[in-house]
Amino acid sequence: MTNPFQHFAGDSSTGGTPTPLVPTLLGQRRTSYASVVSGTPGLARPTRAGAFSHLLNPAADSDSHSNLYATARNYNLDAGMAQGRNGVPGSGSGSGRGGGSGAGGGDPGDSGDDGPIASLGPQWQPRPGNGLPWFSRAFDHLITPDELLASAGITDFSFGGALASAGGSGFLSPSYLRGSVYLQELEEAHRAKLIAEREGNAAKTQAAAGLASNGSTQLQGASKLPSGTHRGVAFELVEKQPVIEDDDDLNPLPSRWNKDDKDTSLDVLGDGLEVKFTGRTTSEHEACSIRADYPMPALCGVYYFELTVLNKKRDETTIGIGFSSRSVSLQRPPGWEPESWGYHGDDGRCFAAQNVGKSYGPKFGSGDTAGCLVNFRLGHALFTKNGVDLGIAFRDVNFKDVKGKLYPTIGLKKPGDHVLVNFGQRPFQFDIDGYMKKQQKMISDSIKNADPSSLAPPLAESELIQQLVLQFLQHDGYVESARAFAEEILGEKKALCLGPNEHVEGINIKDDEDANNRQRIRRAILDGDIDRALKYVDMFYPSVLKDNEQVYFSLRCRKFIEMIRKEAELNLLLEKKLAKFTKRRFSQGVDAAAAGAQISHGEEDDEEMLEVDEVGNGHGNGHWTGGHHEEAEDDDGMDVEDGASANGNGFGGVSKLSQDALAYGMELRAEFHADPRREISHRLEEIFALIAYPNPLKVKEVAHLLDGSGRVTVAEELNSAILMSLGKSSRAALENVFAQTVVLLEDLRKDGGDGAFVTVQSVFDEVPMSSPF
Amino acid sequence: MSNFVAVDLGGLGIDPAFRETIFAHFRETAALMTSSTSTATPLEHAFYGRVADVKSPKSDINALILDYLTMEGYPKAAAKFSKEANLKPQQEDPTINSRQQIQHAIHTGDIETAITALNELDPEILDKDPQLHFSLLRLQLVELIRQCNGGDTNPALDFATKKLAPRAVMNTDFLKDLEKTMALLFFPHDNLQPELAALLHSDLRRNTAIKVNEAVLVRQTQRREAAIRNLVRMRAWAETSVRARKKGDLPDRIELGLNGDDSDYLEGVHENSHEPMITT
Repeated sequence: MTNPFQHFAGDSSTGGTPTPLVPTLLGQRRTSYASVVSGTPGLARPTRAGAFSHLLNPAADSDSHSNLYATARNYNLDAGMAQGRNGVPGSGSGSGRGGGSGAGGGDPGDSGDDGPIASLGPQWQPRPGNGLPWFSRAFDHLITPDELLASAGITDFSFGGALASAGGSGFLSPSYLRGSVYLQELEEAHRAKLIAEREGNAAKTQAAAGLASNGSTQLQGASKLPSGTHRGVAFELVEKQPVIEDDDDLNPLPSRWNKDDKDTSLDVLGDGLEVKFTGRTTSEHEACSIRADYPMPALCGVYYFELTVLNKKRDETTIGIGFSSRSVSLQRPPGWEPESWGYHGDDGRCFAAQNVGKSYGPKFGSGDTAGCLVNFRLGHALFTKNGVDLGIAFRDVNFKDVKGKLYPTIGLKKPGDHVLVNFGQRPFQFDIDGYMKKQQKMISDSIKNADPSSLAPPLAESELIQQLVLQFLQHDGYVESARAFAEEILGEKKALCLGPNEHVEGINIKDDEDANNRQRIRRAILDGDIDRALKYVDMFYPSVLKDNEQVYFSLRCRKFIEMIRKEAELNLLLEKKLAKFTKRRFSQGVDAAAAGAQISHGEEDDEEMLEVDEVGNGHGNGHWTGGHHEEAEDDDGMDVEDGASANGNGFGGVSKLSQDALAYGMELRAEFHADPRREISHRLEEIFALIAYPNPLKVKEVAHLLDGSGRVTVAEELNSAILMSLGKSSRAALENVFAQTVVLLEDLRKDGGDGAFVTVQSVFDEVPMSSPF
Repeated sequence: MSNFVAVDLGGLGIDPAFRETIFAHFRETAALMTSSTSTATPLEHAFYGRVADVKSPKSDINALILDYLTMEGYPKAAAKFSKEANLKPQQEDPTINSRQQIQHAIHTGDIETAITALNELDPEILDKDPQLHFSLLRLQLVELIRQCNGGDTNPALDFATKKLAPRAVMNTDFLKDLEKTMALLFFPHDNLQPELAALLHSDLRRNTAIKVNEAVLVRQTQRREAAIRNLVRMRAWAETSVRARKKGDLPDRIELGLNGDDSDYLEGVHENSHEPMITT
């Protein structure tokens, strides 16, 4: 157990990849490469990318910060680097970092590509040379188990496994519901649960801390959670659903048959989607029914599912499809009892809560697919056969008045009856997406025809919008924009002026010192210069941060993020160049491996060398100073050699960059760790986790934390706080319009009404992408 | 992995107290996760409390504003705003200035200039859209009639016969519109029935300008209007629907806050302002 790399490689193959074959292969490859490259069985300290890092820092002089990619370095060394890239991914995955990115791709083949990230990325190397028990390391390890689960959870491992056994892969999102608020909320709940689970696990880990608990065990543990459990807890763990009042309504979608809600003659097979009749023939008036695990959610507006009859061709089938509440007897087919509706394949009749049906559609049997659609908004249900809409079967049913919730239900009657259901895991035969679009269009058409002149009389639509925009610009301190806009409006008004008698009303934009100051502060934050913003705030609104601790906290966190971001950006740039570079040299593969081995070996032999290397390494991945950053960014086509030399020159600043970030992080933690508020500690964990990634920008689970939009959020948070402190409303009228619409739609969504077919987000989606930065 | 952790611990001597603190966070978080935290502070009406709880998506709103300024032809404001809010100008829209000039020409009643500019911008647009072409010509007739108020009606009559009549015979709606417009020639303008008076109102210019702008936009960007219009309409529709269906508990009147507590700040419209405009 002395070669950490081998170890990592093994872990990644067991825990990191879902399919057994490929990872083994990868694992082996990694192991072998890793050992060749690192060749340091005696190396006690697992520098994460040790093999690579010393290649990065071949010369040991930490003061002169030798040029690691110096053009003078010989060919073999460079090529060795290329090989190193292939060797290190194993370690990356094992440490739970590269694993994150590898898993993110969901494709084992990705891992190879992630290699360079893992190898290049680790910026937070231990620095035994300076005698400090480096926090970076401390953080690393503390965060690692957490991150392992993060990568596992968010990218399909733990819950994917659970759900897969439930008959789906990952989060169930039927195509026709995509984009709906309901699904969005489910997803949020799902994510919240994962986080909770992850943190729960982290806590558990702590209990076993120091013992042999390791990443892969946890991973398995997570995925072994019985699916029932993980669902059961889901809603207790949802911390704060933004707008849902009635939490009961946020049930997950039906996803499989419920083994505990079926007649004994039925067997649920496989992944929970198949049902087979295995009992004895039933009497005339009986059938055997089974219901799904969750009710059809009215909040969807429309719910649809399909079944396919799997009986052998010759078999006679007696199958009914429909929906019922849980109070309905399972010895009766859907439709024959109160609170039960169904369409029966043996006679093509449909039944609405009584055993006298009406003739409705064709019969269906072996090989056929029957579908059931409930439209909660219109209060009707229809069925389909082999993708064809058979017309409305039940009208004017007030589904919300039914006492129990309605579950997808099927009834089977004959031995051999065998069906496979589709709750949205696969594409449907019926064009439910088209149906949904029609429903949505009905609503969006009526919205288009709505007249907003009632909102703020006497303003008609165009004027109202003008006022909203102008007020927004002024309110939010966009001073120049407000002026330019007012000028343009005035020009328009003057143009529209029909005669000299008509008075043109002017728009007075006050030269508002506050607005100017606020814009200055905003500017600083949007530029990522938190210090400058803090300086201004201190100057103009000294009490604001004292009174708004939350905002103060956000600003401080943002500063930390900006530090990480800066470095991650530099790294990204360097990687790009390196990738180009190594590609060019890749043909030298064999030599490269040899060179890698040689050099690693040298390291092993020379303790001193190693130490210095690692010190150097501390700087090594930090790379460039801000100045170089700009330079490099401006010239993206810069040759690798240039990049290398820039890198070399920039060394001094770099380590400072990462050290500063760490020191700052510690400071932040020291200041807030005692804070009992969950949001605070949560946020801290979240941003500190960034340290754990070689390059957080490349890990989609965390990259959003670094996103420029975060600046906007902080800037606006602060702006609102300042406005409040000035006794002004924290929100512009336009924002009120937005928020009010959200709330109103929420009311309209209850029981699957109009609101289920429209989202405010759709308005924003109309706007072509216009991302900040 | 275990090895990694162990080595890590041993080799680096993590402060156990520190570690404990971090894990305490994890535990706390997990514990707190199960209790829900609702922080709704009821204002005068529960509705406003719910509204206050909705997070305002600032970036989206900014994009919405820029979209509006760009689409509806406010080039200066759009440029300033994309600078102040750090937004990339919404796709290079070379038509924004032309569109603004055309709108301006229509607003001032200079339809001839507008038509010329429009043809320059998009030579096919009027041919492909007879309705739009007719609207513009009809507005031009209105402007001619306005100019001749009480005086020489020949230019107006001439224009109507040459330019509008041939189109009007093809389409009964056009014909009706033309007849209505011609009626302006025979009645004194200060005492018109509302239907006719509307033709002389500046709204006709404004609405025609909007139509022209939309037509250009559709041909250039496939979108007809700024997204913000839909937001405002959605808001109006949603309120009407909720009230009609009695689905929620709403205050009698939902304030937008356009002038509300910000009235001193927003000096919206001044009846007696002596400084009509303060700029730059």
